[in-house]
Amino acid sequence: MSSIRLRLLKWLVGPILVFNLGAAALTYMLAWTPAQLAFDDSLRGAAGALAARVRAEGLAPLGASRGNQDADDGAGEASWTALHGADGRLLAGSPALPPPRGPGLRDAQFQGEPVRIAVAALEWQGAPAHVSMARTVRARGQVRSAIVRSLVLLEGVFSLALIGLVWFSVGNGLAPLSRLRARLDARGSADLAPLDDTGMPRELAPVVDAFNALLGRIEAGARAQDEFRANVAHQLRTPLAGLQLQLEWLAARHAADPDSARSLGLMLQANERMIRQTNQLLSLERAEPNRFARARLQPLDLAQLVTESIQHFVEQAAAKDIDLGFELEAAPLQGDRFLLRDLVDNLVDNALRYTPAGGRVTVACGAGREEREEGSFLRVEDNGPGIPVHLRTQVFERFVRLDEQTTGSGLGLAIVRDIANLHGADLVLGAPAAGSGAVFIVYFP
Amino acid sequence: MHILLVEDDAVLADGLNRTLQAQGMQVEIARDGLQADALLQRNPPLVAVLDIGLPGIDGFEVVRRLRARGDATPVLLLTARDAVEDRVRGLETGADDYLVKPFATPELVARIRALARRNAPKSSVLALGNLVLDSGARRARVGERALELSVREWAVLEYLLQHAGRVVSKQQIVDAIAPWGEDLTLNAVEVYVSRLRLKLDGAGVSLRTIRGFGYLLEAGA
Repeated sequence: MSSIRLRLLKWLVGPILVFNLGAAALTYMLAWTPAQLAFDDSLRGAAGALAARVRAEGLAPLGASRGNQDADDGAGEASWTALHGADGRLLAGSPALPPPRGPGLRDAQFQGEPVRIAVAALEWQGAPAHVSMARTVRARGQVRSAIVRSLVLLEGVFSLALIGLVWFSVGNGLAPLSRLRARLDARGSADLAPLDDTGMPRELAPVVDAFNALLGRIEAGARAQDEFRANVAHQLRTPLAGLQLQLEWLAARHAADPDSARSLGLMLQANERMIRQTNQLLSLERAEPNRFARARLQPLDLAQLVTESIQHFVEQAAAKDIDLGFELEAAPLQGDRFLLRDLVDNLVDNALRYTPAGGRVTVACGAGREEREEGSFLRVEDNGPGIPVHLRTQVFERFVRLDEQTTGSGLGLAIVRDIANLHGADLVLGAPAAGSGAVFIVYFP
Repeated sequence: MHILLVEDDAVLADGLNRTLQAQGMQVEIARDGLQADALLQRNPPLVAVLDIGLPGIDGFEVVRRLRARGDATPVLLLTARDAVEDRVRGLETGADDYLVKPFATPELVARIRALARRNAPKSSVLALGNLVLDSGARRARVGERALELSVREWAVLEYLLQHAGRVVSKQQIVDAIAPWGEDLTLNAVEVYVSRLRLKLDGAGVSLRTIRGFGYLLEAGA
């Protein structure tokens, strides 16, 4: 994966370094050339002065001609002087100096050390001759390294500062991307609302627009899928209702024939299962977080909701010879009537389904929670086989069924969990204080 | 008991027809909204059972026209959708009750009966199993045996019979038989019911206690 930051850095820092290097070379030349000229002028002056003295005083100024080296000139430099004839013959001075090639300045190696030689022309005993003065370039070297040192330091600091600035600017320029990412990260999985483009730079607008268009298409697709599912479920209800009535009628007619009665009973069971699953698909649909409308919340009483479904519960319990009892106290809460009815239905249905014939199920509701005053609760308790501790979180997952013998879709408790979550309620699964069984408690805030 | 059934699904209409006839109702069937509208005018039923999703004009429209004519025939709406709007709209349009398909058959029958009672000329005789309660003559009997009931027992039994097949709460009973804030406790209701249970022995009815809630009176021992 390529990185915008790295690309920007590569294309900014590379050229900056090259330019800096060029600028450093130029600075070096600009600083070094005048210095060199000054040194050269001084050397040429010294050579000219020496020539004048030789003309006036004879060979005495070439005092060093006795030895190889003149005394230290006081600036830490060593120098040598010599007088050569026009034919290059050494007339006086240091024999180590090479014969001059004419007046001017040149570089040479002298006794293993670089020197600068200035040559001045003069008339000596009626014949043209040259005075040479060689001087070590130690001071020049010092000046030069001083220039280079400060240049390296300066350019280094400068380059680092520039790179830092570029790094910061690139980061700063890319900040809107990070903000965009943070906004996307903060979203729930079902949140397909368009991105807010306020505060987004112009350059990102096309990206945000394209992204919003994509979100729009995804949302439309999801909605179409939801509607399709709901539609199919609704379409199934009428034929299922018809089938149920026909089977019931047939079962009543053939009650006396055990074989037919058994077969019809099984068909009714299968039909009942289809009806239940269809209804659960629709419940699941209703409990989708993105369909949950806070505006639909209204003050409700759990006792009232249980009462509304009581007929159905009692008939279901009677069919299994289960002792179904109620302990209903006023339990006010804010909720979605249809979702909460689904929650109550599924919890009670679950208890009736998994409690063996002759068992006991109690549905209770009331205000408060343990010692606290606020909130309300719904409790469904049975004396069935109960749910082992290690499976207690698992049972709320979709399609998890603990008992393969009992018909169920494995959706009921998932629906309960979804609806409890939507209402900010805590769902607690435990066991009764004595005996076997399961206790489901939903604590509403 | 004349029922108008409006349902376009042939299988369901046939099943409903048989089921309701087995309950002693005379069923007339319409297949679409316009036919239903015509039948409601020509031969007003005791109760109309009306599907919402009908060809032609839908169930809402049928109810709207019915009420616009000032006709108070009780209407039970059947809906395959359980969308909130459907329920609310149905009742706002003037339907008396609604039931989501698929429904439990006893539930449907009980609701139709409840609506029919509202519409029927006040019949003074209530019957269930071998039990007959004649409010006009103020006489109750089980088969040929006369039943001696106190005023309160009578009131409780009458309420239960009016709601036969339905679970009723003790509070509902209290509210119904002591409507003017008379001092009647839930415990008193329990006492009346236990006395009734003894007296109804052999009446071919079962008076079940719904623990912590109330009672259910049904036919059958």
